[in-house]
Amino acid sequence: MVFEFIGKSLPRHDGFAKASGLIEFTFDIEIPGMLYGRILKSPYAFARVGRIDSSLAEAMGAVVLTPEDVPNVLFNPRLVSIEEDTFKDWRILTKSPRYVGEPIAAVAAASEDLAQRALEALRVEFEEVYEPLLDPFKAMSPSARPIHDRVQRGRQWIEVRNNVAAELKYSEGDLETEEKKSSVIVERKFHASRRYHAQLEPKGAVCKLEADGSLIVWTTTQTIHNTKILISQVYGIPMNKIEVKKIPIGGGFGSSIHTNLVTLIAVGLCLKSRKPVKLVLTREEDMVHDHTSYEFYMKVRAGATREGIITFGELENIVDIGAHQIQAYPLLGASLGWFVSLYKWKALRYHGKAVYTNKVPSCAIRGYGAPEITWAVETVIDEIAEELRIDPLDFRLINYRGKGEIFWGQGPTVRSIIRSDGVPELTSKCSELIGWKNRGNPKEKTGRYRRGIGVGRGFHTSGAGGPLSGAVIDYTGAIIKVNEDGTIDYITALQDHGGGTLDAHAKIIAEELKIPPSKIRIVWSSSSTTVYDVCTHASRGVFAGGEAARRAASEVKKKILEYAARILDAVSPEALRVQYDKELNDAVIFVEGAPEKRISLSEVARVAWQRNWGSISASVSYRATVAPPSFTVYFVEVEVDTETGIIKPVRVVAGADIGTVISPELAAGQIHGGFAIGWSWAVGDEVVYLEDGVPAHRLSLSDYKLPTIMDLPDDESFKVVFASTYEPYGPFGAKGLGEAASNPVIAAVANAIYNAIGIRFYEIPITPEKVLKALKGGD
Amino acid sequence: MLAINSVNTYRIPQKFEYYKPRDLREALELLNSIEDAKIVAGGTDLVVDLKYRRVVPKALIDVSELSELRFIRTDGNYIEIGSAVTMQELVESEIVKKSLPLLAEVVESIGSWQIRNLATIGGNICNASPAADSVPPLLTYDAELELASLNGPRTVSIEKFFTGPKKTVLERGEILRSIKIPLSQQKFGWSYVKIGRTSFDLAKVSVAVLLRAEDGIVSEVRIALGSVAPTPVRARTTEKSITGMSLERAAVRASELIVSEIAPIDDVRSTAWYRSRVAKILVRDAIWKAYERFLQVGDKNEDQV
Repeated sequence: MVFEFIGKSLPRHDGFAKASGLIEFTFDIEIPGMLYGRILKSPYAFARVGRIDSSLAEAMGAVVLTPEDVPNVLFNPRLVSIEEDTFKDWRILTKSPRYVGEPIAAVAAASEDLAQRALEALRVEFEEVYEPLLDPFKAMSPSARPIHDRVQRGRQWIEVRNNVAAELKYSEGDLETEEKKSSVIVERKFHASRRYHAQLEPKGAVCKLEADGSLIVWTTTQTIHNTKILISQVYGIPMNKIEVKKIPIGGGFGSSIHTNLVTLIAVGLCLKSRKPVKLVLTREEDMVHDHTSYEFYMKVRAGATREGIITFGELENIVDIGAHQIQAYPLLGASLGWFVSLYKWKALRYHGKAVYTNKVPSCAIRGYGAPEITWAVETVIDEIAEELRIDPLDFRLINYRGKGEIFWGQGPTVRSIIRSDGVPELTSKCSELIGWKNRGNPKEKTGRYRRGIGVGRGFHTSGAGGPLSGAVIDYTGAIIKVNEDGTIDYITALQDHGGGTLDAHAKIIAEELKIPPSKIRIVWSSSSTTVYDVCTHASRGVFAGGEAARRAASEVKKKILEYAARILDAVSPEALRVQYDKELNDAVIFVEGAPEKRISLSEVARVAWQRNWGSISASVSYRATVAPPSFTVYFVEVEVDTETGIIKPVRVVAGADIGTVISPELAAGQIHGGFAIGWSWAVGDEVVYLEDGVPAHRLSLSDYKLPTIMDLPDDESFKVVFASTYEPYGPFGAKGLGEAASNPVIAAVANAIYNAIGIRFYEIPITPEKVLKALKGGD
Repeated sequence: MLAINSVNTYRIPQKFEYYKPRDLREALELLNSIEDAKIVAGGTDLVVDLKYRRVVPKALIDVSELSELRFIRTDGNYIEIGSAVTMQELVESEIVKKSLPLLAEVVESIGSWQIRNLATIGGNICNASPAADSVPPLLTYDAELELASLNGPRTVSIEKFFTGPKKTVLERGEILRSIKIPLSQQKFGWSYVKIGRTSFDLAKVSVAVLLRAEDGIVSEVRIALGSVAPTPVRARTTEKSITGMSLERAAVRASELIVSEIAPIDDVRSTAWYRSRVAKILVRDAIWKAYERFLQVGDKNEDQV
């Protein structure tokens, strides 16, 4: 297919503003008379609060918010499952703190300094301080103190037993028979530690009341509509009285996939003080007391026949979710979905458990379990292939789930058929580029510095749509308005995390209408001026949101052609063609073979206005009926210093099947970023807790390290290959990318380390300390 | 009320007096008259400590713009660096580049350009972190520290300056005025080897080496390490033992001996076990690297230490 704008490298609409610092984030908002908030965080991981004395703080002129001042309702900050599958165990402020940092009270005052002093003037009595439960296996013991006695599932109260927050079992096929057919069976245990999202912008919110009593909210969120709904549910305010404004966010990676607690607390402070309130977490509060990734304990058992056909797969998945549920239950389903969709298990068994501990609540981090599951499975797959003496690439190509197979987008209720699949093409191109055949055998490698090449194959879903409604909410919308001069206002609730999603939308609209993307303004809209979008999550921004934009553009185009037919006196709109005219820098509509019958889009818009024909606009609500996988195949070469245990990335060849590539440079950038984050998960830092439940020492970004550009391969050593696929359900053939870009990285790195030194690690991060210990033995 | 609620890194959540004296004399008088005053120059360590309330001073005395502390000069025998000279000024100094290549290399690796524009060499020394990057090279240079006070100046060898983590021999009323580095007539090869978690990190282990050799025999060697003991250490025993050995033997022997001169601990960045293990390797690597440099530099740099 030949495109006018898609696939071209064009400047980002917000590029200059971001690079020059002109763009405004939540933190930058200042409103006259605004108060500044601070949160009183629990110093204990597990306790009961008695009296809160706020008299000193109030005497200083501060407004104080205590648990008594906010609605006593349970909620789940993440609205993605249908109501009856939503587990509610949160309160806005609590008298039963369950992790270090859980908000107990909050203050707001006229200056940041006064707010800090007022915060320190609060007096809190702790009636009980319990020993925190930090290990999920100890938490599951019947004698362990319950972190929650009961929680709500939808509107039903349910009892929590053994601190198990949610559980999911699933099986398919005859496992015993398949086991008997297997000539090789490998069983391994894996542990993936807690990691911090390190999104660029710490979370925050600004709230104010309008003269009519409506509440206006600016906040770091991946979803303005779910933020509106949750505020409505928790505070009992009608939804048309809440306007959540879309404002740029400094990345998310899952950390603002839900409505942040800071937002709900800011609302409380605003309602009580009746004044505008800004509440922004410091970097340290954000990283130590607000969110981390989930922590996984996995057991994988899988088999294959002598001929290299996979027989069965079993996954036991214990997830430490911290003190509250954000999306524990859907995670158990998604983990199963990733597992099922990786290979053609003839029989499978799954047991997932989400366990409460007295740690900061976990939320999705880029991949939502897929990086961890993929690492575990891709390790076992490598080991089986080695035992069978089959090339691990061939073994994968024989057994992976590809075209025509059923794909589980995000768990058992999100299924669709795979229609585009670039895995064979990517595997062959990328293995050639990295020199797979010459990777050598670890047993034959000697010397201090040893190099190894590893592969990791994976995917991510493009959204959580499907033909049946299922347990997951996923639909989106778009509004397009043609102005009277032919320029376009594009109005969507869909948030751009910084990856350029909305630039992709603009290109899609431009392609449909044949006008340059520079004529399209991406409007900073709000929950009041857009139609519903669930969230920018599940790598759905381009696939689902982009298709909604294309459909809205297509409706607008129909009207333009109707008007043009009237003006040009054509027999019907069907007689017209549209193309981009470089000289006019506009779309022109014409009758083929009649050169005088020709009009620009802006002229059509002008005439429609002058003749009172009405606005040219469209509003679309769109639910994708499929959730196609975007496949990624990573080849990574590492070098291990056997004297220090330090691992360096030498070369990366990353293959991505994302259908039609809308913005090649931004997509390549996503892949570089995906590798960087995956590399940090594989060999970087982790969040560790001391016995009292305080994150050990890692209290700032100088303690918790992230790789810098100096720690990653340079452009010369990092090749990105895109597959030449076309997804029939995507906008102009496109699929998602964000999470697929990082999902197989840990697997590829771990397999490369094995190829270098012949040692497999079943716990991430793989630190130099662990490598050296494995190489040289203990003391 | 509770520790975690008293940290606020958007603000400095505590009150103190702030003085910006016009000259060193006034700074010393202030320091003498105010109990619990802290000297601040770049503030890259101190401001973080203030935000976390690890220090609660009554007053800060800002010496960052005192001309008496902001110079780099040489008289042929010594190079003298004022304590308020920033890391970036050291990186850009022709004198340092020409005569103290080891220090130039190390300082350039510290933090980022933004941090180097604030951080000063005096601050890096007086903060007395075992991981202070500038200290191992200064130890190998046998640097002397000029301390000023109202009672007059005194000189302390940098090796005797540190008494523990965050502890020095500085007495009340004293300010580090300058760092004096004796220039040697001999040419040395140099190396600095550092391991961090990323390229932008404090050291897990660092080693600085100055070395001279004749016909493959070590004729003089100075070794200093960071992050492996309560203070940065000069490895005198190892130096003595390997002087006169062939490079091959010296490197192996240094690797064996170094463990007895360090006392590493477990912390957020690494473990004692790893530090000991890797210090052995890094000392060996650093000796070879210094020797390679020694062979390369030959007589190129006239006034080099």
